[in-house]
Amino acid sequence: MSIRIVTTHTEFEGRVYEQRVVMEGEEPPVWGPDAELAVVGTPQPRVDAQERVTGAADYAYDMQPAGLLTAAGLRSPHAHARITRLDTTAAEAAPGVRAVFSRNNAADFQNPNRDATIFADELLYQGALVAVVVAESREQANDALRLIHVEYEPLPFVVDPDQALGTGPLAATTKASNILEEYPKTYERGDVDAGMASADEIVEVHVETPACLHNSMETHGATAEWDGRMLTIWSSTQDLFGVRRQVATALGLRQNQVRAVKQYMGGGFGSKFGAHDSGLLAAYAAHRLGAPVKYMLTREEENLCAGYRSPSIQTFRAGAKRDGTLTALDQRSVASIGQGAWMPPVAMATKEMYLCPNVRAVDVAVQTNLGPFASFRAPGAVEGTVGLEITLDRLANALGMDPLAFRRQNYAAEHQDLNRPYARKLVLEAYEQGAEAIGWGTRNLDVRRYPNGKGGMLRRGVGMASQMWGGDGGPPAQASAKLLPDGTAVILTGTQDIGTGTRTVLAQIAADELSLPLDHIRVELGDTEFGLYSPPSGGSVTLSSVGPAVRMAATEARKQALEVIAHLTEAPTDAIELRGGTAYNRETGKELGTLASFLEQLDGHEISGKGMRGPNAENMTVRTFGAQFAEVEVDIGTGQVRVVRVVACHDCGRIVNPLTFSSQIEGGIIQGLGMALMEQRIVDERFGTVMNANLEDYTVPTIRDIPQIDIILLDSPVVQANTIGTLGAGEPPIIPAPAAIANAVAHAISRPVSALPLTPARILDLLREPAQ
Amino acid sequence: MKTFAHAAAATAREAVAFLAAEPPGTTATRLIAGGTDLLTLMKAGILEPRRLVDIKTARDELRYLRFDPDGTLRIGALTTLAELERHPEVGAKLPILVQAVRDAATPQLRTVATVAGNLLQRPRCWYFRGEYNCWLKGGERCFAREGQNQHHAIFQPAPCVAVHPSDLAPVLLAVDARVLMQGPAGSRVIPLADLFAPPTDDRRSETRLAPDEVITELHVPPQPEDARGVYLKAMDRGAWAFALVAAAAQLALRDGKVEQARLVLGSVANIPWRATAAEDALRGQAVTPELAAQAAERALADATPLAHNAYKVPLARELLRRAILQAAAG
Repeated sequence: MSIRIVTTHTEFEGRVYEQRVVMEGEEPPVWGPDAELAVVGTPQPRVDAQERVTGAADYAYDMQPAGLLTAAGLRSPHAHARITRLDTTAAEAAPGVRAVFSRNNAADFQNPNRDATIFADELLYQGALVAVVVAESREQANDALRLIHVEYEPLPFVVDPDQALGTGPLAATTKASNILEEYPKTYERGDVDAGMASADEIVEVHVETPACLHNSMETHGATAEWDGRMLTIWSSTQDLFGVRRQVATALGLRQNQVRAVKQYMGGGFGSKFGAHDSGLLAAYAAHRLGAPVKYMLTREEENLCAGYRSPSIQTFRAGAKRDGTLTALDQRSVASIGQGAWMPPVAMATKEMYLCPNVRAVDVAVQTNLGPFASFRAPGAVEGTVGLEITLDRLANALGMDPLAFRRQNYAAEHQDLNRPYARKLVLEAYEQGAEAIGWGTRNLDVRRYPNGKGGMLRRGVGMASQMWGGDGGPPAQASAKLLPDGTAVILTGTQDIGTGTRTVLAQIAADELSLPLDHIRVELGDTEFGLYSPPSGGSVTLSSVGPAVRMAATEARKQALEVIAHLTEAPTDAIELRGGTAYNRETGKELGTLASFLEQLDGHEISGKGMRGPNAENMTVRTFGAQFAEVEVDIGTGQVRVVRVVACHDCGRIVNPLTFSSQIEGGIIQGLGMALMEQRIVDERFGTVMNANLEDYTVPTIRDIPQIDIILLDSPVVQANTIGTLGAGEPPIIPAPAAIANAVAHAISRPVSALPLTPARILDLLREPAQ
Repeated sequence: MKTFAHAAAATAREAVAFLAAEPPGTTATRLIAGGTDLLTLMKAGILEPRRLVDIKTARDELRYLRFDPDGTLRIGALTTLAELERHPEVGAKLPILVQAVRDAATPQLRTVATVAGNLLQRPRCWYFRGEYNCWLKGGERCFAREGQNQHHAIFQPAPCVAVHPSDLAPVLLAVDARVLMQGPAGSRVIPLADLFAPPTDDRRSETRLAPDEVITELHVPPQPEDARGVYLKAMDRGAWAFALVAAAAQLALRDGKVEQARLVLGSVANIPWRATAAEDALRGQAVTPELAAQAAERALADATPLAHNAYKVPLARELLRRAILQAAAG
């Protein structure tokens, strides 16, 4: 097959990247709306469900190579301090301790991902790493941590973004400003001042969103082993190839001397791109000590140093004509990124979601003395959607318009920013079907009628929000498909299943392409040693990137199988068809034999097909769109909010597996509900310390908090996107959930809502204000 | 967690002997039953006992639930919350106890947590539980008073503004329980209300239990014929959380009028907070929505909220109002 290099563009978390990729052979034609698919599109339980529920599945935490050592970290109790003295001798002499790593002996050890030393002298946040003890047991490591003698010189610190922007101290003594370089950044199209001048109504809205902690069940970390030739790292990661690259760079090894493995994962949600300091340290210690080392973060470490959704402060001005035509949108967003080094796309929806000729978005990324923020399931987009959708509801109210009608009127058919079409935008369908399901038409009547329970203390509200995100993915992503002598198939890819069901959906795609039953397909993934590159699993791109590669590999394998059968049966190749693992002559209807019966005749030769994700379509924007509608009950006596029901309608193209798709939608809504009602990191500004880096004081939803979730499928392929017509579903469902709930609460209590989470305390405060 | 020695007590007397063997004023030996609170305190480094004495081994003596012929409920100190929750006769005669236990912690914790341990649990204040040398741990100041105090007290009888987290304590106070304790000199019985006391400079704990004493039993006296109780708990999520505020109301009515009322608020002070002014307002009256509101108003009249917990005042008022009304309605 001929090899060529193609330039294409991919989008990841709101940013577009140019990519040069190697293509070999041709992708099969797209599975269109009429493609006859037997397994794709059907609900299938996860192929590894049994391993997961019986505990047989091995997570990074479970790896126990012989002679395993355990690492534990000593972390700064100060928001900002300099180490003036560090003495580890007593810890090194403690029972079971094999090494203590710190600036004293590992000052030059760097995390290549952030180009910074891991053991710094200036500690920039509570939880910054001071030293790591490696011992024969976790208990010995913990005991030795207490023997490390550290003297700190506390430095002035800042944790409040307003202070960091104003006259507060510098978060790092080496920097001239707390504002990240290149910020503020201004996006502008049209003439916002003229747009405001032509408006009949202008609203000004201030919105604040909280710092939410990912709280993956499995914390960050890894187990690593060095055998003198090869370093193997079992990492809890969303990006195995990133882990391989970073570990190799950090240790001065070649990439092919590092093998990154991850078969199962207890959640990532965006915070696990790459090896993380903890994984690099496990690798470093294993390499230095010649013994396997595990470093998995404690829950508290996880919640101090492994990321969070950056809190935002958003100020909107929005103007519209009396007839409901938007004339101008003006947004200023401050993202408080701690020791992070980039800004999430808070204004993404403002630029694109609604038709508006005059838009300005000013982004400000401000650093503070808190740990680095990290991507968190649609970073920026969730916060920005809260701001934008609250603003739209306020403007609709000011105009006396129905909020949904207002959104319909300002529907944007084209990608306004780039002046090009969308591959598809089914948001009007989502509005229609969602509104019908939630009973939008009677929402105001129901508020007046409802209900008599709890002595008339309950108020019902219905709100909605629109959703927009990428999810198209792109190259490079590679796969291979092998047909084994027994007539079963193995699919190999380097991707990782981060808990979404990737193994299952890839098996479904291969099953249809190979015309084999699902239980004849085994999917191997989660290992860089296959040499099959896959992108990081984030930005909702895994299936739309890797799925087409798997399909192409299976197609190639099927083609070869047909040729083999043709040779062995003397039937013409194009007359042979495979159904359920058996070959038939399509022309005569004659059964030729099972696939296994032919493969057995090949003396152990395995048919192997190669596949890769082809380039993206140019000159159009591929996006997921959707809408959610939420119904809430607010107890105005206690301030408690109960989400009764959420209706979700998202266009993610072809749905490969309605079961795993539903899991994504439900999980996204539940996580969004947490942000809307209860989740927030609390910081004591006197000390710059986090009060609730645990799962007691940081509350996530329980089963009692979870509403009825109705999912409306818009299941049809986006044929311009990729050869399976599927877009990602990981992030879309969280994007509108907090905004829809916030708007429903505002509707219920007839008062504007401007900050999340909507705890009983906040609702009772809001209720002290007069109703509007 | 620091390493420690482990011993087992076969009887309450043995447990007391272990405790009494310590030099006065030290707490190097601790009793462990369910351990659901103790272990978290040890993991956080707040307690570093040299020796744990397992008292679960005294289960034959201390783990029981029974009603005396006169109707007194006797709860052995080692009874688990789950046993209390599932006891049919308790459910029938003292439903308020079951209501409180049902919303406490998680099913897993209720299976091991004991009644006595629940009463002796320490506050959940994040300064107390965190690495802050706060007043309650022997330090100079309460950091919550001027800090992040959204979960803290709206009545502050002590320098510490943490709240008592127990779900069981308010309802046991509402049914006028008594507590039986054993020490080196023998046993004593006191009203449960007297077990709890705001911490002082000399006694930085929420109870008057002596270091060498062990709780062996709780008694709940027989309630009047038509007594009814309601426990309401507000959390910041649906389950598995400590109360933001809780309200317990135990009423006995005769001829449509309140003969006896015991009202207790939870999570508003270092100790379960008896609302005696509200009880007085109800006594001898027929419960109307207006009266319930008035009584609840009186219960909170002296509240002095901190910077971040003003919401607790209307929340407590509302829960108490509802608890009174629901209890009165049976």
